[in-house]
Amino acid sequence: MKPAPFKYARPDSVDEALALLQAGGDEAKVLAGGQSFVPLLNLRMASVESIVDLNRLDDLAYIKRDNDTLRIGAMTRHRQIEVSDEIRAAQPLLCRAAAEVGHLAIRNRGTIGGSLVHADPAAEWPLVAAVLDAQCVLRSQDNSRTIAAREFFLAPLMTAIEPNEILCEVRFPVAPVGAVWGFQELCRRPGDFAIVAIACQLTLDDGGTCSTASLAVGGAHSTPLHVAEVEPIISGSQGEAAVMTAAAEKAAAAVDPSGDVHGSADYRRRMVKVLTQRALKEAWAQKRKRALQ
Amino acid sequence: MSREGTGKMLGAQVRRVEDPRVLLGKTQYVDDLVLPDMLAVAFVRSPYAHAKITKIDVQAALTKPGVACVLTGKDILETIKPLRVEFDTQKVPFHKSCNWHVLTPDKVRFVGDLVAAVVATDRYTAEDAAELVEVDYEPFEAVADMESALLADAPLVHEEWGDNVMERLEAQIGEVGKAFQEADCVVSERFVTGRHMASPLETRGCVAQFDVATEALTVWSSTQVPHTLRASLATLLDLAEHRIRVISPDVGGGFGLKAHPFPEEVVVTYLARALRKPVKWIEDRREHLSASLQAKHQIVTAEMALKSDGSVLGLKARFLSDAGGYSSYPWSSAFEPKHAAGTITGPYKIPAFSFETCTVATNKASIGVYRGVGIPIAALTMERLLDMGAQKLDLDPAEIRLRNMIRKEEHPYTTLMGAEIESGSHQASLQQALDILGYDDFRAEQQKARQNGRYLGVGIGSYVEGTAHNSAVFDSFGVKIGGYESATLRIDESGKVTVFVGTHSHGQGHHTVYAQLIADTLGVALEDVAVVQGDTQATPRGWGTWASRSAVTGGGAVTSAAQKLRDKLLRIAARLTEVPADDLELVQGAVQRKTGAVRLLSIPELAHRIIAQPTSLPPDEEPGLDVTVAYEPPPITHSNATHVAALEVDIETGQVQLLRYIVVEDCGTIINPIIVNGQIQGGVAQGIGSALYEQAVYDDAGQFLTGTLMDYLIPTAADVPQVEIGHIETPSPYTLHGIKGMGEGGAIAPPAAIANAVADALSPFGVRVNEVPLTPERVLSMLDRAQTNPGTE
Ligand SMILES: Cc1cc2nc3c(=O)[nH]c(=O)nc-3n(C[C@H](O)[C@H](O)[C@H](O)COP(=O)(O)OP(=O)(O)OC[C@H]3O[C@@H](n4cnc5c(N)ncnc54)[C@H](O)[C@@H]3O)c2cc1C
Repeated sequence: MKPAPFKYARPDSVDEALALLQAGGDEAKVLAGGQSFVPLLNLRMASVESIVDLNRLDDLAYIKRDNDTLRIGAMTRHRQIEVSDEIRAAQPLLCRAAAEVGHLAIRNRGTIGGSLVHADPAAEWPLVAAVLDAQCVLRSQDNSRTIAAREFFLAPLMTAIEPNEILCEVRFPVAPVGAVWGFQELCRRPGDFAIVAIACQLTLDDGGTCSTASLAVGGAHSTPLHVAEVEPIISGSQGEAAVMTAAAEKAAAAVDPSGDVHGSADYRRRMVKVLTQRALKEAWAQKRKRALQ
Repeated sequence: MSREGTGKMLGAQVRRVEDPRVLLGKTQYVDDLVLPDMLAVAFVRSPYAHAKITKIDVQAALTKPGVACVLTGKDILETIKPLRVEFDTQKVPFHKSCNWHVLTPDKVRFVGDLVAAVVATDRYTAEDAAELVEVDYEPFEAVADMESALLADAPLVHEEWGDNVMERLEAQIGEVGKAFQEADCVVSERFVTGRHMASPLETRGCVAQFDVATEALTVWSSTQVPHTLRASLATLLDLAEHRIRVISPDVGGGFGLKAHPFPEEVVVTYLARALRKPVKWIEDRREHLSASLQAKHQIVTAEMALKSDGSVLGLKARFLSDAGGYSSYPWSSAFEPKHAAGTITGPYKIPAFSFETCTVATNKASIGVYRGVGIPIAALTMERLLDMGAQKLDLDPAEIRLRNMIRKEEHPYTTLMGAEIESGSHQASLQQALDILGYDDFRAEQQKARQNGRYLGVGIGSYVEGTAHNSAVFDSFGVKIGGYESATLRIDESGKVTVFVGTHSHGQGHHTVYAQLIADTLGVALEDVAVVQGDTQATPRGWGTWASRSAVTGGGAVTSAAQKLRDKLLRIAARLTEVPADDLELVQGAVQRKTGAVRLLSIPELAHRIIAQPTSLPPDEEPGLDVTVAYEPPPITHSNATHVAALEVDIETGQVQLLRYIVVEDCGTIINPIIVNGQIQGGVAQGIGSALYEQAVYDDAGQFLTGTLMDYLIPTAADVPQVEIGHIETPSPYTLHGIKGMGEGGAIAPPAAIANAVADALSPFGVRVNEVPLTPERVLSMLDRAQTNPGTE
């Protein structure tokens, strides 16, 4: 479990990093928190000619709010998001999801950008980016573009990023007035990757009727899956049991899971249904709790 | 630190002497050893489960800068003997032996099998070069499953056997047929345990160094059995044993795994000698998971006959065990089912028992001994059957156990299998465990929870743990090893004590407990006792630490040695002080006259005389304070315990949440409660792993699917509740101080207690709980099965 040889550079600016990446072609990769990349190198499941270490790029680690948008720098560590008061006020689902990423040591090192580019279909950040319709800001030496998270993920461990690009920022919409959310994750042990995870955000009016809904599934598809089909079912409802069941069935029908030692494809599909119901219940329960306060 | 102010260390809550070093990171493991010019090994391992090696081309690897040597199986066929487990054929006539070549010359038998060793300046280069070794394989169909291994057309793992059966044994004790005829109720089930692993924090590893001048080899290895390893290296490499020194430094856990000599250790030792340079191999986690030893995988089909009052009349069981590709030395990979059969009656009086054990070879990593060996599945079988019987007969699970357990006054009780259980507290431990839980309250809570759609369950697992088997027992097993243990005790001129032991602590805290025993016997302070272990050059021949043996055997040896020197000190003191020896005792570093408690002579003063002023000694006394003792324990020393698990099952996801875990154990006289509690907590953690998480998985082609710790799940601190522990002390009438072993116990009953609790939680659905680990998906499929075939339990 030792990596094959590679060249290593630790640039001091994003521009320098982009230049190194451009020069390295297909055989250069960036290193962020190293919590996914380094194990792959050590297992020799990945090998590269050169590594561009982003850990000195403090200007890629930030949390900013511009009106209705939360801008998070790609090098922001999971833990910084988990404990950020600003994020908790603006979009608490992010804090909730961050807490589920691995263990404390991993959250101290691993970054939101690394998780998104690594694109594990069971990971929390891709799921949350899909459900909240986040935007990914990518830069190359001579270009900059923004792509919707829902288009960013292509397959397990595969995204729309080009070899010469760096993911610099992720933009999340601030939770709108009346927003409630649900986050349900099933894993074998706390800190493990999800067998299945469901995230949803609903906006409810004062009477508890849903005006907009978004739901996504992690762990049960080749990418995090935003299940648009459930939205018309939930919208306009008050979270009646039948609605939740129908939405859960829809979500279960939408996924195409593959199995592994922690859960077969069938089991995962079934859990999509169970957890979708629970996530929706959790969301409406938030509303009731707020009403009581 | 003393117990009730008596000055006694035995039973005192003494803090572990070892802890500061461990906690400060000052321990020295094999990998901490760095020698000048040291080379590193990376092994080329088979990617196939079953294949013939048709060609190996090492040229590209050899020419890579930094590579010192590439060794293949053909190169050493004549020079290194294969590991081969040979039993005394008179005692075990039904065992087939196989060769385990340290590098396979012709055929690979599991994913991870050793094909070549690449030696280079460092491990990075060695791994780069290992990728350049070109091996051509002709893949064969794999034997990936123990039941299909028995089919007539199954491929053969070892052609010379003619089939895949390593060992088969049948026996009947008592009138089993009659028991089943007379039964009011019969319950039967097929139980499966997962393929588990010891998974110590420190993986295997060794460093070997050859001294050209003296032709002596020094081998540092992370082993539980330094002396056994030395003897094996000498035999397999055909070297004089006295020219090999094995040092086992600090060992980061072993749990039985490291009680075996390994092919890698033989190769590394060979290489150091051949290359005349130190060679290091540290196993990485992937190698560890795929290619060390695995454990405990069995299928048991069992039937129990009961009377309507719940008393058990008889038991039939068939133990099928999956040995993997080779056989581990010295107990063989067929030990697991035999030990399960031998221990299945546990704390219960079973009048008739018939069984078959069958061990088959398959294309998987081999089976070795791991904490509990065989007893966890024996307990799972017994305890589940009792619960099933109780349910059929409408008895409480606690009640059926109390009725069948050996009563206190029935000790010494000879089991059907001929073992004498010398003493115990079976009923009392069960009762106390239920009291700690608050059994009746839990039942009430369970009822209430069910009304709210929540499923709580409670499960019991009781067992007897045979520990510290003596030489005669191993002889009866046909295994050629000793069960005694040795200690050399030395008092120096300053009156301080050093003890050299043949056991080897790999986390247990032997330094502390041995020092406690010696401190009491010699009347010295704990700090005045040094313990030396893990070096064949320094310590007398011993058998290492495994099978919960060290407290009884090592403790017996150090105590006997201390008693001998105490007697000598008192004898000589009596002559010098002209006080009769039986009126003298050693207390607080001095010879004291019992009458009037008068201090007469300090131990340093006396020791100095005996060592450095020999002319002042009585003429019939030898100078010096140095003694070596071999202590042979009683045949088997039995601890007992009851575990109780309380948990909740999520019937939608199948997830099991442990709520409480209770252990009431009886290991006779407790030397140090802190250490006993630590062993229980750690053992239970591993048992919870077996019950809920751990499983080494192979697919139908024998491919290994759990090669990282993201696939092979070990419970973490967050997954293991704080075990609630109760103690009962029923001393052994036979061992020194009445001590009994207990190191494995914690790992024995969790599968039984947790499976019973899950079955209890799901009893409204009549679920058959018969397989561990109880993963969420498995629990859900058990529920599904119950719903499609209601009333099968
Ligand atoms: C034991 C363990 C448990 C874990 N459990 C979880 C879990 O439960 N949930 C979960 O989501 N994750 C989990 N992880 C993974 C962890 O969250 C990683 O931190 C994350 O997946 C990758 O982030 P990183 O910063 O470590 O990226 P790295 O490992 O450094 O990089 C990952 C990949 O992304 C690329 N990359 C990184 N940053 C950028 C960038 N800014 N632009 C372009 N490419 C980039 C790298 O080139 C590499 O290909 C676990 C990891 C471990 C070791």
